[in-house]
Amino acid sequence: MTGFDDNQKIRRPGLKRRDLFAGSLAFGTLGARGMWHSVPAAAAALQRTAASGTVPRLVPMRAHADQITDIKVCLRPFRPAGPRLDVERVGDKVVIHNYGHGGSGWSLSWGSADIAVGKAASLSPRRIAVVGCGVIGLTSALSAQRAGFDVTIYTRDMLPHTRSVRANGSWTPDSRIALTAPAGPQFAEVWEQMARYSWKTYRDYLGLPGNPIDFRDDYTLSDTPFDQVPEPAGRTGPGDYASTGMPRATSEFATYGDRIRDIIPAPELLASQDNPFPVAYAQRAPMMMFNFGAYGHLLLSEFHQAGGKIVIREFHTPADMKSIAEPVIINCPGYAARDLWGDRTLIPVRGQTAWLPPQPDVTYGVEYRGASALSKSDGLMIQAVDLNDVGEMEGVGNSFEHVDRAEAEKAIAVFENLFARFPAGRG
Amino acid sequence: MRGRGHAGRAGLGAGLLLALAHMGAPTASAAQARSVSYYTTEQAQRGATAYQQFCAVCHGASLAGAFDVPPLKGRFVTNWSGTTLDHLFDYISKAMPLFSPGALTPAQNADLVAFILRENGVPAGRVELPATDAALKTMAFPSISADRIK
Repeated sequence: MTGFDDNQKIRRPGLKRRDLFAGSLAFGTLGARGMWHSVPAAAAALQRTAASGTVPRLVPMRAHADQITDIKVCLRPFRPAGPRLDVERVGDKVVIHNYGHGGSGWSLSWGSADIAVGKAASLSPRRIAVVGCGVIGLTSALSAQRAGFDVTIYTRDMLPHTRSVRANGSWTPDSRIALTAPAGPQFAEVWEQMARYSWKTYRDYLGLPGNPIDFRDDYTLSDTPFDQVPEPAGRTGPGDYASTGMPRATSEFATYGDRIRDIIPAPELLASQDNPFPVAYAQRAPMMMFNFGAYGHLLLSEFHQAGGKIVIREFHTPADMKSIAEPVIINCPGYAARDLWGDRTLIPVRGQTAWLPPQPDVTYGVEYRGASALSKSDGLMIQAVDLNDVGEMEGVGNSFEHVDRAEAEKAIAVFENLFARFPAGRG
Repeated sequence: MRGRGHAGRAGLGAGLLLALAHMGAPTASAAQARSVSYYTTEQAQRGATAYQQFCAVCHGASLAGAFDVPPLKGRFVTNWSGTTLDHLFDYISKAMPLFSPGALTPAQNADLVAFILRENGVPAGRVELPATDAALKTMAFPSISADRIK
């Protein structure tokens, strides 16, 4: 951690919506105490970046609404107390729950699967069933195979049709994962365990053909200095979760990123001559992301190669679990648990991404004015992260899983406008 | 009308229950589907109106669904066959419409089930589909006759 003192608080666990705006939160301390970042000579001395003025020109993103190839909407399965990981008996079956990962399902999937499989293993079954084939179900199934079990997945839909692939697909391990108070301090420990385990597992998938998992330089831009960006109110109503049964403010959402900042690349403020954007202030952080197509097919191939079997079946009540042949079931229904298991603590958090044709020559992401753009192998993904200035409350309680094209066009316009002014000065 | 429907269904329900007990999982035969009165023409028509108002926005005017939205025909039958109709009624009552779960009345939800059955080729009968779990528990999801698939 050269150059950082332990008191610095850089909350950059990954792409996190509040960081896009709350420069004071994410980088304010850096601005005040870590000024060396913005001094080119000091940065060069520390070999943090290339020498000033040699930053490679970035290929501009072609962000235009008439290039939309797809708009995807999902409902994040958010539980104020954090994901459900308890064990339940249904008839003579043991059901190990593994659902409700909010906006952090992809990021935490391997760690959460490891916890669920560990519980299953303590019962020493020979065969294990997994219900659901989203990213939590698939990683649970693969983890169970790797632990030596014969695994059958029971699912209504295969991965491409699940809510998982309608997500953003980048490393956001504490995005709407829990509320601080109901989750309690013990969940922070569990979260860290899951995040670290997942991070290491993902590293095993780096550098493979097709880049199922990859890194991108992610630029956060601001028209005003990061330490002068006011934190948005992020509140949608009076009260809080305890008094109303719904979260009301961004401040209620848990942030655990500090716990793993020893392994997550830190953000770096760019000196003005190293800033390729036509915006006054920029910072850059390498960010892990998941390419749905390459990664999804790889996981499925691995599952089949290891002898896994998939049964297409829809379950209607918990009692239906008794019809499963395997004695131990890892239950990964995601948001569907709200009705299948009657879990009314599941709160929908709507999210939408617009997809433009892939631009393989663009190898970065940008966050600017409440919108986010990220170049992935299956398309240029653009998301209205917080155009309404409500922080983490955006989409909370909204189960309208239907395309809002106007929202997509508004987000695309942010980047259309940005790149119309590109390259800046020296580019 | 409904009172008569329930009275008329009592014997039928007992028969179905016997069938369920016999088979382990409730499955109605094609012959039963033809002889059982599941819903009336008027009820399905009311369901059609409600469907266009509350459901078509996602599931499509022809019930075909979309890439991200389950169809209410075809695979839908596989997903629900082997269950009794209270499960489908309950699911619609609690989970739908997705953007405002539980917003419809029991009568509207029964009308919707009637409409969905009609669209899947189940013939209309003389008695309305009831709007209570207790009554629907006695009715297996019907088999679809091949010559009625639309």
